[in-house]
Amino acid sequence: MAIQTGRYGQVLFDPAGTTPVEIVSLNAWKASFKTAKEDVTCFGDTNKVYVPGMKDVSGTVSGFWNSDPAASPILFAAADATTPGMLKLLPNSTTPEKGNFWSGLAYLDAEIDCTLAAPKVTGEFMAAGPWTMTVGP
Amino acid sequence: MITPPVDSANVENAILAALINDAPLQALAPDGVWWDSAGEVNGKPRTRYVIVSLIAHMDVAVFGGRGYEDYLLLIKAVMLNAASVDIGAAAHRFDALLDDPDPLLDVPGFVPMAMFREQRIRFTEHDAENPAIRWLHWGGHYRVQVAIPT
Repeated sequence: MAIQTGRYGQVLFDPAGTTPVEIVSLNAWKASFKTAKEDVTCFGDTNKVYVPGMKDVSGTVSGFWNSDPAASPILFAAADATTPGMLKLLPNSTTPEKGNFWSGLAYLDAEIDCTLAAPKVTGEFMAAGPWTMTVGP
Repeated sequence: MITPPVDSANVENAILAALINDAPLQALAPDGVWWDSAGEVNGKPRTRYVIVSLIAHMDVAVFGGRGYEDYLLLIKAVMLNAASVDIGAAAHRFDALLDDPDPLLDVPGFVPMAMFREQRIRFTEHDAENPAIRWLHWGGHYRVQVAIPT
C-alpha cells in the first residue's frame, strides 16, 4: 500500500442505477461523509457533549464541457431525472487500485460555467440510498 | 479512461504548413517561414521572412491523462528596414489565417478548440554588427488550443 495519485481518478454513473460507466472529461470529485452531531450538553458538564445523528453523503464532480454522449450530457440528463442513478467514485482507477471506491444511489444537479476558456461543468450529488465504501484487494 | 498518445509536434507542424503553403504570404515574405530563427541558405542572408516560436505550453489534465493542450506561439514577420515595405501586409496576412479562422486549422490527432491572437507586437531592432541597419518585427502572440479526442 502507498499513497496514490488522483490523476487516474474516475467518476462513473448509471441512470438506471445498476452498472455505472465512466463520465469522461472530468478532472475532480469531492465527497463528504459528515455525520450530524446533536448537542446534548447538560448542566454540570465541563465541556460540550455531542451524540451522532444521521450521516449525510454529498459532494461534487467537475471537469470540462464535452458534448460526447459519454461526457457532460450524462450529468445534464441526470439533473433532469426524477429517479436516482448509481454513482461510483474512484480515487484511482489503475489496475491495483480500482477495487477501492465509494458508491451508492444519488441525485445529481448540473452546472456549466462558460467563459473564454474551456467551459467547465460541475455536478452536485446527494445520496438517494445507502452508500458504501469498498476496499478492494 | 487513459487518453491515447498524441504527437504534440503535429500542432506546430500544422501552423508552419498553413503559413508555408499560403501563396499570398509567400509573396509578401519570400524568404520563408522558420521555426525560431532564419538561417542563411547557400550563403544568402534572409531579409524578409516569418518566424514561429513556442513561448509557452500547458497540458490541461482530466482524469486519465491530457484533456487538451494549450499553446502560446510567437509569430512575427521580420524584415530588413530597406526591404520592409510589405511587413504590415505580411503580418496582416498571417493574422487573417490564424485569428479565429473558420474552419479552425485541422491538426492530425487532435480536435481543434480555438486559435486567436492574444497580443500584438511591433518593435525595431538594430543589427548587432551594423547599427545603421534596422530589423522590423511585426506580429503577435497566438493562442492555440487543441483537445485530445474522447
